[in-house]
Amino acid sequence: MKVKIKKWNAVASWRWDVPEDDVCGICRVQFDGTCPNCRFPGDDCPLLVGKCGHSFHLHCVNDWIQTESSRGLCPMCRQKFEFVAE
Amino acid sequence: MLKIWSMKQQQQAASAAEGGQKKKKVTAAQLRAQKDLSELSLPPTIRMHMPDPEDILNFTLTIEPDEGMYKGGSFNFTFAINSNFPHEPPKVKCTQKIYHPNIDLDGNVCLNILREDWKPVLNLNAVIVGLQFLFLEPNPSDPLNKEAAEDLRLTRENFKRNVKNSMNGGHVKNVQFERVLK
Repeated sequence: MKVKIKKWNAVASWRWDVPEDDVCGICRVQFDGTCPNCRFPGDDCPLLVGKCGHSFHLHCVNDWIQTESSRGLCPMCRQKFEFVAE
Repeated sequence: MLKIWSMKQQQQAASAAEGGQKKKKVTAAQLRAQKDLSELSLPPTIRMHMPDPEDILNFTLTIEPDEGMYKGGSFNFTFAINSNFPHEPPKVKCTQKIYHPNIDLDGNVCLNILREDWKPVLNLNAVIVGLQFLFLEPNPSDPLNKEAAEDLRLTRENFKRNVKNSMNGGHVKNVQFERVLK
């Protein structure tokens, strides 16, 4: 018997390289979900990993850094928030 | 051709209006507040009241300390969460005129995490625990009611008497306070 493949579909799944149930400390949504203002996870709503080791949705931490009272500090540990360039 | 164009534009306008409505319906602040409220674990000394269940951004809190100098009192606070939450702290005010080093006569509260030390990873539980702590350990440094702070610094016993007096609706240094005993 010969099997002839006429058509095939590849399916892939992805997730961020963070512990599975980790949430963004700012919006408290899982990292695999989006920040409250986005609809699609992934490159449209990426994570930002700080040098201090704390991660947030890019959009969430951006909003925070732009508020005057943040003084540019990480909302978790109050060290200067600098992100790790990939 | 032209007709198709205008139809498409109409469709887009309609969906945009719908999307706009959706956004209004659940804002980021509401989402986050909802999460905080669902994770709330209130001790038996604290009660929460939501006058309008549709509006989770405005509610009141009653603290009835079961130890410390403010034991026996019943203290009410209003919480107002604005659309910038959690980037801005909730606005918390005491609705009664009380004698406390960290709460002024207008009800403004001096708590570090409600002001300069706020950060968006803090949640409502942290604020509520902080408020309760003010009644267990009034803090005479960095006061809002300077006279009360001075009293506490000088003689703790005298301060305790003043607290008792004020909670009963009495006067402290010519200022009358609200009766807050339950």
